[in-house]
Amino acid sequence: MRGTQVKTLFWLQTGACGGDSLAILSAEAPSFEQLLLSYGIELLWHPSLSHAPAKRFDALIEDIASGSQKLDILCVEGSIITAPRGTGLFDSYKGRARMDIARSLAERAEFVVAMGTCASFGGVHAASPNPGDCTGMQFNRANPGGLLPAGWRSRSGAPVINIAGCPAHPHAMTQTLAALAEDMPIALDPLNRPSAFFSMLVHQGCTRSEYHEYDIEDAQLGGHACLFFNLGCQGPLTQAVCNDDLWNGVSSKTRAGVPCFGCTAPNFPREADLFTTAKIGDVPLRLPMGVERARYMAYKNLARAAAPQRVKDKEMDV
Amino acid sequence: MARLELNVSLNRVEGDLEIAVALEDGVVAEARTIGTMYRGFEQIMIGRAPRDSLVITPRVCGICGTAHLYSAVLALENAWRLSPPPNATRIRNLCLMAEGLQNDLRQTFLFFSPDFCTSRYAGEPWFDEMTAMFEPFRGAIYLETLAMTRRLVEIVAHFGGQWPHSSYMAPGGVTLPADLRRISACRAVLQEAQRWYEQRIVGAPLDRWLALDRAEDYLAWLDEPLHAASALGALTRCARALGLHRAAAGTGHMLSYGSWRDPLESSPGAGASLLRSGFYDGDAGSVAQLDQELINEHVRHSWFRHYDGGRHPWRGETVPNYQPGGDRYSWAKAPRYGDKAVQTGPLAELLIGGDALIASLHAMEGGGAWLRQFARVRRIAYEFFYAQRMLDELAAEPHGEHFTPPAGSSEADGDGFGLVMAARGALGHWIAIRNGVIERYQIITPTAWNASPRDSAGLPGHWEQSLVGVTVKDPDDPIEIGHIIRSHDPCLVCTVHMLDTGGKVHFGA
Repeated sequence: MRGTQVKTLFWLQTGACGGDSLAILSAEAPSFEQLLLSYGIELLWHPSLSHAPAKRFDALIEDIASGSQKLDILCVEGSIITAPRGTGLFDSYKGRARMDIARSLAERAEFVVAMGTCASFGGVHAASPNPGDCTGMQFNRANPGGLLPAGWRSRSGAPVINIAGCPAHPHAMTQTLAALAEDMPIALDPLNRPSAFFSMLVHQGCTRSEYHEYDIEDAQLGGHACLFFNLGCQGPLTQAVCNDDLWNGVSSKTRAGVPCFGCTAPNFPREADLFTTAKIGDVPLRLPMGVERARYMAYKNLARAAAPQRVKDKEMDV
Repeated sequence: MARLELNVSLNRVEGDLEIAVALEDGVVAEARTIGTMYRGFEQIMIGRAPRDSLVITPRVCGICGTAHLYSAVLALENAWRLSPPPNATRIRNLCLMAEGLQNDLRQTFLFFSPDFCTSRYAGEPWFDEMTAMFEPFRGAIYLETLAMTRRLVEIVAHFGGQWPHSSYMAPGGVTLPADLRRISACRAVLQEAQRWYEQRIVGAPLDRWLALDRAEDYLAWLDEPLHAASALGALTRCARALGLHRAAAGTGHMLSYGSWRDPLESSPGAGASLLRSGFYDGDAGSVAQLDQELINEHVRHSWFRHYDGGRHPWRGETVPNYQPGGDRYSWAKAPRYGDKAVQTGPLAELLIGGDALIASLHAMEGGGAWLRQFARVRRIAYEFFYAQRMLDELAAEPHGEHFTPPAGSSEADGDGFGLVMAARGALGHWIAIRNGVIERYQIITPTAWNASPRDSAGLPGHWEQSLVGVTVKDPDDPIEIGHIIRSHDPCLVCTVHMLDTGGKVHFGA
């Protein structure tokens, strides 16, 4: 442990499905329990795992707000529900809006970590027409400013760190917490996501990528080939480690033939048929990140002509 | 008589749960279950492409997304009159069983058992043993459960790419076939987990444990050294010493949609199940055939726009109307089977499904909190048994179809429902498709049945009934309520409702 002292961690659930809490239990390097047993993190509270009576929760939020209990890391899981009319009472705890609890704990925390796309950007609950008036901790979809204003900083000087994903990747969560425990600097991208987990594309490492390079595309689910042209896959547009650091140690959605739905992006879930690729003529409306349309079309035509028979015949397993 | 109103908040449940109880001389005279969160999934579904339900609805719950996905795909197949090939059903079942194993182990040993390790029980003769096994992040069984459940969800990841939250079931089948590699990898995980369950959780080989079929034989078996030293043995001794086998039976009526589709008898979206479905009538003591038309929901005591009586999910509505301070008190609706409040979960599943040991224990001493928890650990044996069978069948026919693309590209209009047994009990999705998009979507979750508030006739839901008569020794630490509610594996994120309202709805509409 490089960190000089024990770091306290408080995990708050707001408008959540619990998926990030369940996902983090699948982390292995480090595991969630390793963070507690070997990395010097003291778990003050986790709603699914703490075994103290709920009155301990009441005492903790009071003591943290008053400053008598130190709080190093606040993890928030779930959308911030602000309905009705900005009161937040569609998500209450003993009559108090949970968004108020989140704000009051954030004011005292050295670091605030949004676990998952809901807490980062609003997520599935903020999808149109957003009946709960949901938002993220410091972003509202892609727009800076959520529950907390864009310029807000925690006590350490950092903005809310967004571990996006629905759910967040287990190692994106535990490795970020490990870095905080060890006082390592964490570089963030423009969406305040740790660059270490959001600089590569889901497409990188996908076992279907050779099909993609030669433009051999499936038109139906259940096949071997690429899902980008017809089935809505966002892999070439989505920043996440899914195909590099495999889920549950074994696979990823695209390897399993499930289109990437872009769940680490602020616009997840996008307003479109999620299993269909919008196209202009034969070409997808949204091309792989950074690609120029004219060059892409030329390259694809050449690639298709050059495709080896094993690729054309979709002989390669995935 | 001293009357005390108490508002209990519970952690170690999924989601947000508050229970208002009235204590008279320390005994619960009345209880109200309060779902404190509204997320509005229903409006989000309206107008979307039907298959989007495969992406959106698993996000209702992070712990049983596979079950939601399964219900959603069955509802679409029911609406579109599609039958998946047998291997697709086998893979779906296998994944649902793996998710169930994960849930049953975590719920029992991470959520329920730690209640016995609190200082309140420090003087009890069993305290040291329970603490050594179940103390959070220290107890041996607690740590082993974390490690083993992490392995078990790999099975879902092999076919779905990840757990939780994937969308690998689609109308017509599943996205990936079984092959030699996946079958071998899943078998290795199951074998390792089953060996651990046999040695550490029940202290007997699976076939011997499943063959145990009479209450008196089980009670005698409790003293056998291997079972006595096992996690279930210790848990049973402790729970029964506290009288939890006689506590909190709640409503005697139970509901099961049937466990796991039969791969060879699958009709569109419905079909036969490996353990049978049905309604157990607690008054008659008999099982009647399931009739989904009898399912309806009331909103008289919920924060939704009022309608009279109960409505079937295809005719229901969910228009939020938050009015604190009156006699409405929950974001949960009140589902009813006919006019009956029912409970659902592993006890209902195994009693209706025909497990002889559960039936015998139920006949002897009723369905208390201990038997509910015991049934959850018992169900793990069925999950192992049938998961191995699914793998055997896949291995015997590895090149069978896994996906039959729906004819044409059109996704026709129609109505459908999909019913499965999720880890927590009966889960149903109802969909109506018009003009190619979702017009109406309704989910009734297991916890909605159990956590139901009062209905139009004033009849309390299952938890509300089960808490009446429970003695609370210390109102500042109402641990008895924790034992009872957690024995149901509560999941409050599950009480969300999804249904169209025909457009955007605002508070107060």
